[in-house]
Amino acid sequence: MIPSGVTVEEVFLGAAALFVVLAIMMFYRAVAGPTTQDRLLAVNVLGTNTVVILALLAAGLDEPWFLDIALIYALLNFLMAVAISKFTVERGGVL
Amino acid sequence: MIESIRFWAIIVLIAFGLFFTFVSAMGVLRLPDVYARAHTASQADTLGAGLALAAVALALGWQHATVYTVLLLFFVFITNPTAAHAIARSAAESGIDPWTKESEEEGETK
Amino acid sequence: MAAERVLVPLSDTVTVRQTVGYAVQSGLERADELEVHLVVALPHEADLIEGQQETEAAKELLSKAANWVREDAGSGPITVETTLLGTDEYLFGPRDFASAFDDYAREHDIELVVLDPEYQPGATAQMLQSIERELDAVGLAYDEAPVERPARHERLVGDGTERFDRLFALFWISYGFYLILGDPTYWFDLVTGAAVAGIVSVSLAHITFTFPLDRIQSPIRTLRFGLYVPYLIWEIVKANLAISIVILRPSLPIDPTMTRLNARVRGGLPLLALANSITLTPGTLVVRGDDQRLIVHTLIPSAREDLFDGSLERAVRFVFHGREAAAIASPRERGDTEILGGDEQ
Repeated sequence: MIPSGVTVEEVFLGAAALFVVLAIMMFYRAVAGPTTQDRLLAVNVLGTNTVVILALLAAGLDEPWFLDIALIYALLNFLMAVAISKFTVERGGVL
Repeated sequence: MIESIRFWAIIVLIAFGLFFTFVSAMGVLRLPDVYARAHTASQADTLGAGLALAAVALALGWQHATVYTVLLLFFVFITNPTAAHAIARSAAESGIDPWTKESEEEGETK
Repeated sequence: MAAERVLVPLSDTVTVRQTVGYAVQSGLERADELEVHLVVALPHEADLIEGQQETEAAKELLSKAANWVREDAGSGPITVETTLLGTDEYLFGPRDFASAFDDYAREHDIELVVLDPEYQPGATAQMLQSIERELDAVGLAYDEAPVERPARHERLVGDGTERFDRLFALFWISYGFYLILGDPTYWFDLVTGAAVAGIVSVSLAHITFTFPLDRIQSPIRTLRFGLYVPYLIWEIVKANLAISIVILRPSLPIDPTMTRLNARVRGGLPLLALANSITLTPGTLVVRGDDQRLIVHTLIPSAREDLFDGSLERAVRFVFHGREAAAIASPRERGDTEILGGDEQ
């Protein structure tokens, strides 16, 4: 039984808002560190969260092309994490 | 009837996705060192993202965008462990010692 | 006149014989007296079991190569030195190899390295920077031996079915990907997709697949991989629940340990699948991978037990080597596991 007054779109938008709150929680780790790798890890998780938020918005606002952006963001996020971990090691060669 | 089942399925998937992302956020905040945090970060990547994206796929129904969602999940699953490994390895090469129970007793790390 | 000294790193390739021949010939052209240093660098620690086998193979290769040098030099004024590198240190990839060669060269006052173009530093090093670039980085001069390359020659130019298989597979993979992102019913996307997939497959086919494709085995592996995914997701769900309980408890009862696991999977792709699966499962995280030796960080004891039970390893063996291969003893029974102290990396 669908509760009256609540649409699926509103559920998605609400969930996206909650994911933003969780992302802000994780942002603490990106600011606090203490090591570069900690920040990097936090930013990487934030990136995954962003991808999820974009996908939820795509469903909530009924704009399927948001998913294209999410896809590109996921790939860029990966590149960012690998590139920065490569450069934080003095000798490089992380992969 | 079908609509009702779909609605509740979406609610349940999103709720569990939020729960696992919440646990992951707690872990990233609470755990003592970068290696331990990397474990819990993969929770957000796997179940948190996976369940939320499943909810999106269910809402969009059987159309083109759903294939995107599956593709997105596929990329997240392939790239994130690689990124986590790269971060952990760079931590190891920078000489960050893993936190253990003993090091807490000695009071070396916070 | 000072003797010309050259360093020849050896590995078990099809062109190693020609490389040795070239080193001797070109060296004798430049100088009257030649000192050839043959080295084999070991990517393993010598005290491990695989390491011992490799050490034996390396010694054999060295003595063969020394004979080749004497053969080629005839009565020429030549001295041969053979050395094993990496017995007391831990060489990981091209970078470590290059610096080991550099140290050796400095020690023996060598100015030139004669490099086998097929030289492979380590077993699964395709993703790393080439040994040539690393030698440049340490500032060691090298000369690449001009050898005939039967194997690669065939792959690049020949009409071999292997090349066709790679092109075929990559073409359809990239075409499929393009059409998923585009619109499979729109003629413009169909045409541009075919063009893009053609360019991609022609230019990248020989580096995308680092192993020969098998017309029967490769599709079967893909199907088995399809079976593996639900199993992996089930493992991930179980591990997620276990970790969630631990993290949400106020006392935070974790016990992080570094462990070493010698995985029994062969080749780069199965190892990648295994390492990625281990990292995807919360509670276990691959920190380093050197061929089969994985350094795994485990967060809670139950995750460590699961890892040592080797269920993921069996599943990966099932995907790549079939059902019979899956039935092996767990890493714990094989004695391939080790808990490292906190101070070690």
